[in-house]
Amino acid sequence: MDPSSSGIQEPFDLIRLSLSERVFVKLRGDREMTGILHVRALKHMMGHMNLILSDVEETIMIVNEGEQATVSVAKRKMGMLFVRGDGVILVSPPSRTQ
Amino acid sequence: MSFFGFEERTLEREKNRRVEQDEDLAVYTWGEESYDGLGDALQEEHDELNDETFGDVGKVGKDFDFASANPAVQPISKSFFLKNLLAAQAISLESIWDDRSPFSMRLNGSGRSSLQPRGDSPAQHRQQSGIRTLQEIESEMQALLRERQQQLLQQKQREEEEFLRQEEEREFQRQRLLYQQEQAQIQRQQQLHAHQHRTPPPRMLPVSQSPRFMEHQQRQILLLQQQQEQQQLLRLQQLQEQLRVEELERQLRSQHISTIPPDPDMEALQHQQLQHQLRHRSLPLEDGLPYLPHKLAQAEFLRDMQGLPQADQEALRVEAMRKILEAEKMEEKRRRKAAKIAHMSRYNDLMTQSDKDFITRIQVSQLVSQDPYADDFYAQVYGAIVRSRMGLGADDERVLKFGASGGVALGAPSKGGNRRPNAMQRMQQQVERIVSNARKREEEKGLHSLHSLQGALGKTSGRSYKAAPRQLLQVDSGAAPSASPTLSHAQPHAHISKSDSISNSHSDAAATHAARLGRETLGNGSSEDLVRMEPLTQREILVTLENMYDLVLNVEQLRRDPASSRGRRRVFWSNGESNEFDRLVDQMWSHLKVMLPLATSTPHPFISLLSAAKGKKILPRVTRHFDQQRMNTLLTLLIACFSQLDTQAFLSSVLQSILPIIVKGNLRLVCGLVGLLMHGQDIVAIAKSRPGLALLTLFLTRVEVMRQGEVDEIPTQEDFAQWQLMFDHLFQLLTPEFPLLFPSTRMAAHLPRDQPHINIPGIDSLDQPVWQFLAALAVQASSTQHQILVSSLREKVLDNVLSAKKGWVVDEEERTTKLANVDLFLHALGLDSSQITM
Repeated sequence: MDPSSSGIQEPFDLIRLSLSERVFVKLRGDREMTGILHVRALKHMMGHMNLILSDVEETIMIVNEGEQATVSVAKRKMGMLFVRGDGVILVSPPSRTQ
Repeated sequence: MSFFGFEERTLEREKNRRVEQDEDLAVYTWGEESYDGLGDALQEEHDELNDETFGDVGKVGKDFDFASANPAVQPISKSFFLKNLLAAQAISLESIWDDRSPFSMRLNGSGRSSLQPRGDSPAQHRQQSGIRTLQEIESEMQALLRERQQQLLQQKQREEEEFLRQEEEREFQRQRLLYQQEQAQIQRQQQLHAHQHRTPPPRMLPVSQSPRFMEHQQRQILLLQQQQEQQQLLRLQQLQEQLRVEELERQLRSQHISTIPPDPDMEALQHQQLQHQLRHRSLPLEDGLPYLPHKLAQAEFLRDMQGLPQADQEALRVEAMRKILEAEKMEEKRRRKAAKIAHMSRYNDLMTQSDKDFITRIQVSQLVSQDPYADDFYAQVYGAIVRSRMGLGADDERVLKFGASGGVALGAPSKGGNRRPNAMQRMQQQVERIVSNARKREEEKGLHSLHSLQGALGKTSGRSYKAAPRQLLQVDSGAAPSASPTLSHAQPHAHISKSDSISNSHSDAAATHAARLGRETLGNGSSEDLVRMEPLTQREILVTLENMYDLVLNVEQLRRDPASSRGRRRVFWSNGESNEFDRLVDQMWSHLKVMLPLATSTPHPFISLLSAAKGKKILPRVTRHFDQQRMNTLLTLLIACFSQLDTQAFLSSVLQSILPIIVKGNLRLVCGLVGLLMHGQDIVAIAKSRPGLALLTLFLTRVEVMRQGEVDEIPTQEDFAQWQLMFDHLFQLLTPEFPLLFPSTRMAAHLPRDQPHINIPGIDSLDQPVWQFLAALAVQASSTQHQILVSSLREKVLDNVLSAKKGWVVDEEERTTKLANVDLFLHALGLDSSQITM
């Protein structure tokens, strides 16, 4: 009964389906963020997957160097964010808790 | 690496060479252990013939002494020597040995006579009188010293100025010579040129006017300016140093005056020593100082002599210094500005107008695209919205079109500012010219019938300057017609189209169920051969919504399309366009899944679509295109599934799209909808939610309006009877819950018992919709229902009036809100809060 689960045909379909939805974005430099994906036209995103996110919460992993390297997590919230595409590693719909 | 232009290698070589030379030299180590004893080998005898060899001539005459023989020459040379001697006293190394500082002079008085070659100073007279204080001696000596130095300085300055002037003169001459030479050369070249080409090309400029020559000239000027600036700077620094030194001196002196020394002799000695040191330190500076110091020294001298009040002198001096410094600064500033302008104008006129045009053409050509409207979609739509908001004609698109070949999108109109529109116009003209030129060229080409050969050698990428980044993801843009105006990948998503077909089949099924839905909504439907489905998954919802967006954008594009610019109303459209429009709207309708039977799933697919934020957002855009009948169906479904809706965004988006239908609906529709709300749904829960309450209020007011007879279609008596039944039923259901409809009452239940009057900020504005609803209810209620209302709400009313009148409120605003709320309800009953007495 589930016709559409059969096919994400091309990578951008996933992105397209996630428009106006909350997505999880992993970035270079051990940074991660969740936010609501905006911009419907993907045309200019082809080369780089630039994103515009709103209501963003960013998570930054900071490795404290020393004898025993510890990892601390910093979080910050932003209303609106433009994410340059060359730093994006993955974009995914977040796991739903409903 | 090289320092100061010296090549290190040269230095290295030099050093090496020297080392080699050192090794070549004979090394004498007399007296050391390794002494080879060569000295012992010397012959110490045979000296007796030395006189014979070198001669012993007896007395030597004085006939070589020309000076004494010719006394006329003598005075000149003497004065010359004297001059040299004076100069040497001030600055030469000798002066260090021949210490004539006040200190040494005092210690060995012998120096004094040689120090005072120019006779009578007042101090000398006093010296003869024999009684003098230490201070007198000191000042006298200082004065003398200063005088001498001053004279020396003046002389030196004069010489230096002269030298500088000559130097400048020479430089100027040299420049002029150079320039003349260059001019001559240029003329020669020009003549040569003219000789060779009888008709020089029109753009050929004489070299002297060419930018490069100008540049050369300017660079020279710049160099000169820099030199001058450096000199200026140096002078300033020296001045500052001088000032500092003098300041120090003054401090010392004032200290000396103000404090009574325990041992005057020692103190004076120390002071003198210090001053002596200062003098020596400042001497080389004064040497290099061309202008001011002698004036300063003079001023100081004068002050010492005349004994003017120190403060006045000080003020004068500071003022003067400040002015000088200011002037210097201004000059500096001016110079810097001039230099900057010269620097900036270096490249003036490097490009000709045609060069500039060429660049512009390249830039503009990048803006041309095949589908300017879609490329500039957001700006265009935004611009349209802004224009319509401003009440301007909404139909003109800001796109330059060139036939079928494409166009340039001009973006949204800029707000205000006179420059931008001008630039826009200029660009527009430019583009038009470029396009027409290109077309002309094309025609010419056609004339030469080069078309047959075109592309014979393969295609060249004529737009190599379009430095687009390499595409990392190659998305297959198939040949399928673009479904979306905003999406570049024209392939309609396969999975989406697959789901299309499925949902289409569903809508087919839905069509067969349409009749049954009607029956169901009326409450007597049977659930025979119902196709039960699982609720839509998140992905299905998203896929459907994306599809909806594509359709909506297509429809909106169709309405905006210049081809159909005759108007926005469908009646004027030609048949084909109308068909296209209908087809798209039909697709939207089926995608909304409104026609699926109510019991298909819980929540209903349509409600599932509304659960997503973008689903709620798209609803008003979709419903705009639906006709009355479809909207009624949609509204029916919405009401029937009201409890399934998440109420978050209902008020903002969904209610907005159904409001016009309710406002226009007849009594029978309203009746049916209220019936739907009460049928199989928890009407009390609905009434306790904000959107539910809003909906009920909406229905009640609509009925009241119809009762007043302010509608086109007067309802029949039968309809009213039906409504009365419905109303009574609703009233009955809600009666026990009246007080609990208020958010404040519900919240108060959670508050501690001993503080019943605790204030929750903004609670009255939350209560307001409830009061409105109750007022709407009261308007239509019978007198018995009035009594029920009053008795159940009596406490609430009294509570509000009491807190308003007793002043249990935060501010005046809250008080008025409370009273207004109560009055809203009481007025409907024909009462007023002022009638209530406590």
